[in-house]
Amino acid sequence: MTAAPTVVKPGTTPAESYRLTGELPMVDQAAVPFIEIETVRAREFIPAAKEAFSAMIVEQGQSKVIRPTFNWAGRNSLFPLHWGLACCAIEFAAAFSARFDAERFGIVPRSSPRQCDLMIVNGTVTWKVAHKLITLYEQMPEPKWVIAMGNCATGGGPFRTAYSVVPGVDKLVPVDIYIAGCPPRPEAMIDGILKLETLIRERKE
Amino acid sequence: MQPDDLAKALAPRLGDRLLGVETFVGTAGRVRFRPEAALDLFRAVRDELGFRHLSMVGGIDWVDHREVFYVAWSDDARQYVILSADLPADSPHIESATPVWESANWHEREAWELLDIGFDHHPDLRHLLMPDGYAFHPLLRSFKLHEPEELEVKQRSV
Ligand code: SF4
Repeated sequence: MTAAPTVVKPGTTPAESYRLTGELPMVDQAAVPFIEIETVRAREFIPAAKEAFSAMIVEQGQSKVIRPTFNWAGRNSLFPLHWGLACCAIEFAAAFSARFDAERFGIVPRSSPRQCDLMIVNGTVTWKVAHKLITLYEQMPEPKWVIAMGNCATGGGPFRTAYSVVPGVDKLVPVDIYIAGCPPRPEAMIDGILKLETLIRERKE
Repeated sequence: MQPDDLAKALAPRLGDRLLGVETFVGTAGRVRFRPEAALDLFRAVRDELGFRHLSMVGGIDWVDHREVFYVAWSDDARQYVILSADLPADSPHIESATPVWESANWHEREAWELLDIGFDHHPDLRHLLMPDGYAFHPLLRSFKLHEPEELEVKQRSV
């Protein structure tokens, strides 16, 4: 991350200053303890394997066998990050308990971002948690997806004009699926994940 | 305890730094004092009047001045007392209450970050609710909330 101090114009708002400068609304970025992460992907440990892998991807990436197989494997074992930000996390938890049992779709929450390929942002994202959210997102290996669950993660929800709330998590990380509701019911969350599976099925690159 | 009792007990200690004691519903009274008297008043209120628990520190931005107030609780009298001081708007600062009441620590951090009230000799005046280096004091009246139409929605091609 750059250490250049952000110039915040007086009279601007946190969201506006973030939109203008692309930096979180801090006076001094260097003052923020930001954990720098080198994303190391498993297949990069062995250069030979990496070469073989990428050659295979380049040659057969568009083929009718390899890509659909990867997509099939990926979409049937989506591992979301097991974390909760606010009240939506209750519905997130309910979706994985006995009644709704999201595990029947192969969705298993994992506690480490390094084992995840799906981040479900389930709640209000504050500016204080923004760094941690970006850090967790960067720790996840590719390919990865983000679901914004609930009105807060989608656009700030009831707190969209608040001084401490990021008006939509798409200001921080790219979002694939938005789920409306305050909070969305577990059915809605499962529906969002199934829609994401449709997206993954059509993934080409 | 009544406002008169408070005034009688505090007047010898503070002299003209005590600006008055008013009735305040639900409490023993609202003590208004000059900011220079802060530590003397806190010690007197804790040690002599028995308000041993500080339950909150708050502030109000009145635009022309800034008010800081402390709410303390006494187990013996089973009453609250409010101590309030007016600070100048251009450089609002007051002595920290942490040497008297330890619990003032986080309350003062919050009052500082939201209302820009400086607490002198505070042991650890960092941000509490907002991230480190946050550039605003959002509960000031000069802070403006963003308008909904400033928001934009980005789309990502899949
Ligand atoms: S969308 Fe509603 S239920 Fe979900 S985190 Fe926000 S306020 Fe809570």
